[in-house]
Amino acid sequence: MTRRTPSSPDRRHFIQAAAGASAGLLAAATPLRALAQAKGELVVSNWGGDWNSNVMKALETPALESNGVTVRRDLASAPARKSKLLAERNLPRGKIDIAHFTDADAFELQAQGALSEIDYSKIPNAANMLPGMRNPFFVPWVYSGVVLIYNPNKITTPPKSFADLLNPAYAGRVGLIDQIYFNYLYAFSLSSGGTMKDISKAFPTLLSLKSKVQPRIYPSHQQLAAAMQAEEVWISANYKARVAQWEADGLPVRGAYPAEGGIAIQFGVVIPKRAPNKELAYRYINEMLAPNACRSLAALTYYAPATKNADLPPELRAQVEFSEDEQKRLHLVDYEYAARNQPEWLEWWNKNIKV
Amino acid sequence: MTQAAHASLLRPRGGTTGTLLAPATIVAVVLLVAPLFLLLRYSLNRFDPGSLMIEALTLENYVKFFTDPFYRDVLGRTIHIGVVSTAVCVVLGFLPAYFIARTQSVKMKSLLIIAVILPLLMGNAVRVAGWMVLMGDSGVINAAVMKLGLRSEPYRLLYTDLAVLIGTISVQLPFMIITLQSVIESIHPSLEEAALGMGANHWQVFSRVLLPLSMPGVVVGTVLCFIMGMNAYATPVLIGGPTFHMMAPKVYEQITKANNWPFGAAMAIVLMVTTLVLTMLSSWLMARMSGHGSVEAKA
Repeated sequence: MTRRTPSSPDRRHFIQAAAGASAGLLAAATPLRALAQAKGELVVSNWGGDWNSNVMKALETPALESNGVTVRRDLASAPARKSKLLAERNLPRGKIDIAHFTDADAFELQAQGALSEIDYSKIPNAANMLPGMRNPFFVPWVYSGVVLIYNPNKITTPPKSFADLLNPAYAGRVGLIDQIYFNYLYAFSLSSGGTMKDISKAFPTLLSLKSKVQPRIYPSHQQLAAAMQAEEVWISANYKARVAQWEADGLPVRGAYPAEGGIAIQFGVVIPKRAPNKELAYRYINEMLAPNACRSLAALTYYAPATKNADLPPELRAQVEFSEDEQKRLHLVDYEYAARNQPEWLEWWNKNIKV
Repeated sequence: MTQAAHASLLRPRGGTTGTLLAPATIVAVVLLVAPLFLLLRYSLNRFDPGSLMIEALTLENYVKFFTDPFYRDVLGRTIHIGVVSTAVCVVLGFLPAYFIARTQSVKMKSLLIIAVILPLLMGNAVRVAGWMVLMGDSGVINAAVMKLGLRSEPYRLLYTDLAVLIGTISVQLPFMIITLQSVIESIHPSLEEAALGMGANHWQVFSRVLLPLSMPGVVVGTVLCFIMGMNAYATPVLIGGPTFHMMAPKVYEQITKANNWPFGAAMAIVLMVTTLVLTMLSSWLMARMSGHGSVEAKA
């Protein structure tokens, strides 16, 4: 009978080989395993209202809460939430794990050093993102663009340009939304021969708009929707997603792509610099980019997914996506220029248009 | 036992005073005074869109505020809303307060007080939302007016100065009524009866007896209402609309939307100092007024 000692070569080799194989398998499966196992409590900072309910329906409830993750929500407007992240950036430990913002908000936060750099190797579903969508500090989920919106019962010839809002025939029937005032600055810059990097030409055009058609200014999308429903307002500029949503809700509205091109906007998430549970935040992002979540959110909000495998039904695709030509003419915001000048623009808007 | 002996028994001795005062003082200093100093310090900094705040000791934010007609108008409109809404509250609040104070039935008095404070049981924003439902273009008032055929187009009620005044008064009025009611209740009815018995008419009883004796309540109610009117936030934002500018929403906008903390802090300090100065001035004026012609002064 042979007696094997604990250090006998065969056994040692076997243990080493087994350990090596296990380590190899473990290493290969680590990102997926880590994501699958990341559980616990996740604090999500988000806008309230419809947007939050849609995010819950499309992503948080089916993909996370049903699988053992407790989601706590910190709901407020973007400016209030940005201030919170700015205040948290110098603390040893923050409260927010993941935050929903627009691309422009994310740029501002990143410039102030409030965000963590995204490690895309921890997000397997990021492989399906549309070209050009990857951003080192911000993961886009959906996108859309500002187009013209009008009432076909009142305006029989579809508008072609943002400049059509200045038509004196629409005096008192033009609606603007205070919340997205910056989009009007971009739109009238483009329609007046300016660019996204120099919007100085927008100011005289907006003053002319004010004197020619006395636009009605509404605080938010909901109020403009009510005004368009009541046919108080006939024409405005808004995101294509809103046009599709309001049309589906039975409002008398149609969208028209402006000759000068639309203004792009992306909605997505960031991981704050001091996020306490980054592993779970990566799991959230990975689930967010999965086809199911992208498809559900597109169906609920009419924003186009930032991924190529969402597999939208053809009718929905036509409502939310842009044609290749429209896509090419979609203008991206120059974030640095916007962040540098936004306080001045806001003051100008307050003093000259909101009076 | 003499009054002095009573007082000495009730007065805490030795370290007790300090011990009893310490918790409240610490809370007030930490939560109120320290942030105010921080705000004052921020207001002297310089703004840079790239780095939010640059440490400095400059008055440029205050200079900007007082030299820019837009911001001066915002302050003027805020004072206007504060003064007018407070004055309306004094006028509208006196009679209900008197009625409640002189109601004999305890049950009825409790019911009336509950009716007055009932609106305070819900949040300010909820109450304002109620006004929006009433005053909107397709709201209850316009629907009724149009249904009755009095007008074909709706009245523009929402997003007007009048709407903001109505909303602000509705928030302040319960405070004025409750304050006045508690003071009027302490004025013995025999004083009014004596005045009537000596040949005074009702107006003279009101102006020479009741009003001067109610002045402490009027002063406290006015101070409360004025401070609330000056600092109104939800009402101007929700029913004043984007074109109605008041100080509190502008402070919020500078801090959160423009990220201009130094200017926002300067606006907050201006709002606070203006409210404080006007409150002290009005209290002093009313105290002087109540000193003339009152029963006590002539006694």
